[in-house]
Amino acid sequence: MRSSTITLYIDTSSSYLYTGLLIGNKLKASCMEYLGKDLSTYALSKIAKMLENSSIKPEEIDRIMVVNGPGSFTGIRIGITIAKTYAWALHKEIITINSLEAMAVSLKEEIYKVPLIDARRGYVFAGIYDQENQVVLKNQYIRLETLVEAANSLIRPYKFITNDALSLEHVSYIPDIEKIVETFQNRTPLNPHAVNPEYLKRTEAEENQGIQTE
Amino acid sequence: MNKKDMYILGIESSCDETSCSIVKNGEEEIATVVLSQIDIHKNFGGVVPEIASRHHVKNITMVIEECLEKANMTLDDIDAIAVTEGPGLIGSLLVGMEAAKTLSFVTGKPLIPVHHIAGHIYANNLVKRLEFPLLCLVVSGGHTEFIYMDKDYSFKKLGGTLDDAVGECYDKVARVIDVPYPGGPMIDRLAKEGEPRYPLPIPLNDDTYNFSFSGLKSAVINLAHNLEQRKEEINKEDLAASFQNVVLDVILKKTRKAIREYPVQNLIIAGGVAANSSLREALQNLAEEEQIHLTVPEMKYCTDNAAMIAAAAYYANKRGDKASLIINSKSTMELK
Repeated sequence: MRSSTITLYIDTSSSYLYTGLLIGNKLKASCMEYLGKDLSTYALSKIAKMLENSSIKPEEIDRIMVVNGPGSFTGIRIGITIAKTYAWALHKEIITINSLEAMAVSLKEEIYKVPLIDARRGYVFAGIYDQENQVVLKNQYIRLETLVEAANSLIRPYKFITNDALSLEHVSYIPDIEKIVETFQNRTPLNPHAVNPEYLKRTEAEENQGIQTE
Repeated sequence: MNKKDMYILGIESSCDETSCSIVKNGEEEIATVVLSQIDIHKNFGGVVPEIASRHHVKNITMVIEECLEKANMTLDDIDAIAVTEGPGLIGSLLVGMEAAKTLSFVTGKPLIPVHHIAGHIYANNLVKRLEFPLLCLVVSGGHTEFIYMDKDYSFKKLGGTLDDAVGECYDKVARVIDVPYPGGPMIDRLAKEGEPRYPLPIPLNDDTYNFSFSGLKSAVINLAHNLEQRKEEINKEDLAASFQNVVLDVILKKTRKAIREYPVQNLIIAGGVAANSSLREALQNLAEEEQIHLTVPEMKYCTDNAAMIAAAAYYANKRGDKASLIINSKSTMELK
């Protein structure tokens, strides 16, 4: 990577907007804000403001790294739609990052990491990663109880990482955007048309009818 | 390209169609792409909002690209971006909105938000330039209302449905008599083969411009239920004919009243139910009797499409409608 490569990082997969502007591997500006139901209203304007404050024009971005889920279905679609439209319109590189992987690499402790996102009704989206951030249990839609059992059977110490109100001892997720970008920047860029959310779960209608429409 | 010409790229994603269109000066369609999800939602007997949203996000950039290719244009040739602001399915609307906001941001072109029904009304402008004052009958899956317009982009609602929209009622009746989704066109077809021999109440048969279709829907359900209990077979054609008959009856009655009360020479229809052949025919007869001019949108503009959004946006822009990046989709909103 050139030391001057400009990267725009976008994650709207939860109730928070996590966005950052990097020149080379250095974070020059960021915005981390709880937007809740206002994510769709403000996400793009906050990204625009961040670029403007850094005197970077939209066309000066070299690549976009976007979190494609799992997480809030609507949230993911907001970030993905912004990112793929941006990359398509201005012919920019685009790379997708998994939200659980982003959570795992952001925790800089020599332990196992169990990032999890509330998927409601006793279920979570979660995975287990080792201290090198290698997959121990692949990301999945799983019963919280089952995940806790799997974590308890680990021989190493571990920590749950989440920003959701789940009743278990955990550390909060604070994205380390520099580390996330550094870790995943060598992934092969995608055609913007092929950038899509990873929901990890079919819709209820599809489950009830036993069909997959995508 | 003439310097004064305005090319608007419109995006519409309020329900289960992902669409992009480029329209010149609000009147001339340059290119339109509509990607319908109807075959997907058929499996579920109706539109499943979450599935619709998922397909919108998957298809949105491809639809925009294909539209530009079809028009042999690039984003540089576009003067403004238009998008359906609402009403509609919120998750579906959001995809179009975020795409439109992003296009506006990265190209620096203005963003024009458009009310979905203003779009349906301006679908008629693609057939023939609207002439004012006019009366518009909006009939769709989400709307049944009368709009009076004395000039471009000025909407006065005379009345509308107090409960179900007429298209919604068609879909529900279709379900009762086991007709596959989408029910509207099938009921229309069946009705032509049947006799209106089942007695049904004329809904909200009063002097207002309001409609109420939920009672009629219940009456059809009760009728079907009673026939079933008496072990009598429902004649689908006859029931469709009976239902359509009362629907047309009340729509025609109120349309005639509005024409007589408001000084209009032009009647237009808008919305998905404007594709109903019996309604088109009945309104044509009414227009001839009342000696006013009727404009109906082309069949391809009756279902949701972005051409109507890009057409309406031209006049919205003239009125000064413009959005910043801080705009959100709205599942419900008044036409103003």
